[in-house]
Amino acid sequence: MLTLAEGARTRVAEAMTSPRTYVYAGVVGAITAVFVALGLKQALVLGAIGGSAYGLLALGLVLVYKSSGVFNFAQAEFGTVAVYFLYIFKGVLPYPLALLGALVVAIVMGLLVERLIVRPLFDAPRVTLLVATAGVALAAIGLEFWLGEPKLRSITPLFSRGDRLAILGQRISDQQIFLVVTLLALGVLLALFFSRTNLGLAILGASQEPVATELVGISVRRLSSFTWGLAALLGGIAGVLFVPISGTFGPGAMTSAVLIPAFTAAVLGGMSSLPGAFLGGAIVGVAQAAAISYDGFKSVPGKGSVVVFLLLVVVLAVRPQGLLGSKA
Amino acid sequence: MSSLHDAEVAAERQAAQVDEEVLAKAKAEAHQPAFTPSPGGWAARGLVVFVLAAIVLWWPLHRPMSDVRLFADAAIFAIIGLSLNVLLGYTGQISLGHQAFVGIGSFTSAYLVTVQKLPFVVAIAFAMAIGGLQALILGGVALRVRGLYFALITLSYGTLASDSLFGIAAFTGGGQGQPAPLPSFADTPYRYYYFCLVVLAAVIWVDYRMIKTKGGRALLALRENPRVAATFGINVRAYTLYAFIVAGVLAGLGGALLAHRREIVQAQDYDFRLALIFVIMTVVGGLRSRVGVVIGSAFFALLPYIIEKVHLETVFRILSDHTPLPFLSKEVAALVLGPLLLLLTLTLNPGGIGQQIRPLTRWLGGRRFDFHDRGEKEVQISDVRA
Repeated sequence: MLTLAEGARTRVAEAMTSPRTYVYAGVVGAITAVFVALGLKQALVLGAIGGSAYGLLALGLVLVYKSSGVFNFAQAEFGTVAVYFLYIFKGVLPYPLALLGALVVAIVMGLLVERLIVRPLFDAPRVTLLVATAGVALAAIGLEFWLGEPKLRSITPLFSRGDRLAILGQRISDQQIFLVVTLLALGVLLALFFSRTNLGLAILGASQEPVATELVGISVRRLSSFTWGLAALLGGIAGVLFVPISGTFGPGAMTSAVLIPAFTAAVLGGMSSLPGAFLGGAIVGVAQAAAISYDGFKSVPGKGSVVVFLLLVVVLAVRPQGLLGSKA
Repeated sequence: MSSLHDAEVAAERQAAQVDEEVLAKAKAEAHQPAFTPSPGGWAARGLVVFVLAAIVLWWPLHRPMSDVRLFADAAIFAIIGLSLNVLLGYTGQISLGHQAFVGIGSFTSAYLVTVQKLPFVVAIAFAMAIGGLQALILGGVALRVRGLYFALITLSYGTLASDSLFGIAAFTGGGQGQPAPLPSFADTPYRYYYFCLVVLAAVIWVDYRMIKTKGGRALLALRENPRVAATFGINVRAYTLYAFIVAGVLAGLGGALLAHRREIVQAQDYDFRLALIFVIMTVVGGLRSRVGVVIGSAFFALLPYIIEKVHLETVFRILSDHTPLPFLSKEVAALVLGPLLLLLTLTLNPGGIGQQIRPLTRWLGGRRFDFHDRGEKEVQISDVRA
């Protein structure tokens, strides 16, 4: 743990002396000023919070992409399944225990997916694995339609207080604060995990050269189980923290609401960069919230999806390696 | 010492003898004339073809109108499945937003016929052209990047279409939908069913011809291994884009046919679930197998109908009465069974239905019936990473 703390300290010191940090800070400041001038300051806050959910899901996407080289279309369903189990457990257990139980279910689901789907397709072309992850999402949604019935259910958040503080005139609930703090903490921990621990480095190695990784005595299979379990945990956390903020959910809730913005966030950040996923989530969330609340776009249907699609197209056309990614 | 030597010599002699035997057998096989079925064999094949043709062509005439509408759906889904097969089967890229291409084809045709009063054939041609145009623009962006970004951008485009494009009231007729009447030359569901069959036959023929061209061979090569294909001078990006445009044109065609089959086009019929059914039916049918894709697509189009006809809902009802499981209706059954079939196909049987029925299709083509003929083994490349 000492090395982790030291690593964090050197990272922060590096960031403080780098001119890029100040450029980013300036850009963020300028955008804030523009939003306040346009009367969209509440959208800025709401967008940043919604973007945290995208970022949280994007972290899981980046993790699987780093280790398996595939887009995991089942990532959001880890979240939806966790929410369904939170709903069930909440009836018989106190909320925090139900939350933990739901996360355990998500991890088990991730491990099962890895064992039953990913491992048999280890040597298959990547597009086959991609279709398979989409198949997992579909199977989960189908089962939710059947076992959960096609109706909306309501769920309360872990923290019920809704007006602890206000930023730029927007009230923020405790659950929203918890979501943002969780994302920040997980982002830092994962970045340190991949740069400073043996296990993290082994995962990176396995993604680049699986054969060589096996040769130096690391079990690629066990790493694969670990990554999918971790990714499912991240997806589960995103689900159980984000869904109760809006209060209702139905079959495929996370897939329809969060998956595409989260992918866009991950691509925006560079697909293999964990801080990038975090940054991308914030950008997508803010852009979406701004488009929805801007008066000039009132008559455009489906503004949120349009913005996400345009962001994706612009990134792929202008800077395919993403904001913080290395050149592909 | 000498006995050891003798044993060695004997073993060598034996090995040589075995080699000769193998060689002789191979020679005999090579000189054997190609297998031709006996007259009785041809008659049996003819009978099977006749029965299949009767089921497709004659039987629907004796079904109620509501059933024939579903059969037309099956033919249209087969066209859409073939469209996806061009992309996923021949280039290895996947479109997760195919409902957008089909839906825009539907709305284009309905809008041109109902609002602009253009003839049916012109409307279908426009729908196909717009399908190709969308593919050109989207592919131009998505194929800039190596890897699987294509899946992502089509997924995002599908959501954009469902949320936004289908909400433009002037184009889609708002909530009540855009009417799309049957064309004058096929003004009953029966006639329209046969029209759809003719179009399906034309699409199968175009697909068959396309694979025989230089472009078709290039597509197959780049699917096997893009790097090797590029080494042989194939422009990977251009040919992938070409396949996507063909897929877009066919999806537009399928969409236009679907519009006039339904006679009213409503946005909620073109949600994400439709795109998923398209992917599932193509993969379960069997990539690169035209027969398999047609059967898989027809199966998923008719799944609620089949469940009803074999009284599977009664089974589900009994299941839900005696276990805590809720009732599985025929609409939801496709959503539950489809993905499970997809996962089983991918992990256990990558060739899909097409691979399973291969002995039968080869037999119909005049070969010997060989139950173990499952076609060439799938070439899998583990070093091609996204």
